[in-house]
Amino acid sequence: MAEAETHERNKPRRNQGLGRILVMVYAVFALSSFARSIFQIATHFEQAPLAYLLSAFAAAVYIVATLSLARSGRTAWYVSVVAVGIELVGVVGVGLWTLLDPQLFADDTVWSRFGAGYGYIPLILPILGLAWLLAHRPRVGVESRP
Amino acid sequence: MTEVATDGWFWVGTALCAASLLICVVMTFLRTFPDDLSILSVAAVELFLIVYGVGAIVRQAGGEPLQGELWEFWGYVLTALVVSLVAVVWAVTDKTRWSNLVMAAVGPTIFVMLYRLQVIWFG
Repeated sequence: MAEAETHERNKPRRNQGLGRILVMVYAVFALSSFARSIFQIATHFEQAPLAYLLSAFAAAVYIVATLSLARSGRTAWYVSVVAVGIELVGVVGVGLWTLLDPQLFADDTVWSRFGAGYGYIPLILPILGLAWLLAHRPRVGVESRP
Repeated sequence: MTEVATDGWFWVGTALCAASLLICVVMTFLRTFPDDLSILSVAAVELFLIVYGVGAIVRQAGGEPLQGELWEFWGYVLTALVVSLVAVVWAVTDKTRWSNLVMAAVGPTIFVMLYRLQVIWFG
């Protein structure tokens, strides 16, 4: 029992070890989707307003997820779960939508066709993210460490 | 993917990105800390990007036409330069086996950006 507790304490926290890679990939997506959506909105917003607004929303979700995944603490964990959850709903929802009604979005977004334009990483990422978060739940009294 | 014109810059960059990815993945297995080779391989990619950027300034100043938007091109170059730096900082601040895998993300990311740069350059 004591051994198990020691193991628990020595277990890397969720923004360390493997968690660092998750944050890195999220950061890349946050950066690229943000830059792309700024470019789209600034240069040809009127061509596909709905798609570009969705791109901007997706970028915002990635930015929030990156920041909250990188932080320690209970609040950050809950923010992460919500952000990654929205992302999963977004990529599945928009994926289905683009499949059933391809005319709706005049241009591709990061979530179109389940993220096919980005090697389906947008679909895999939230699943990995949620799995990682659920495997590293905040424990009372543990996450309050500085 | 549609056919895109490629040049020597692209292939040199691709080779460096692939080498960096390979080295970082191998080091993930061999080392329990961020290995010098991983850092050096990312540094090589970063160095290439600097040379690529300087080369692009010279080529564009010399009148080579750009099919896409000028500021989109330079947005990609600057972002690529930042990505490698951020990855190394983020990797070495947590000294584990996985630091190498964090740096392994640089190669594929920069490769995609180089591809996008080719599209912007050649249309």
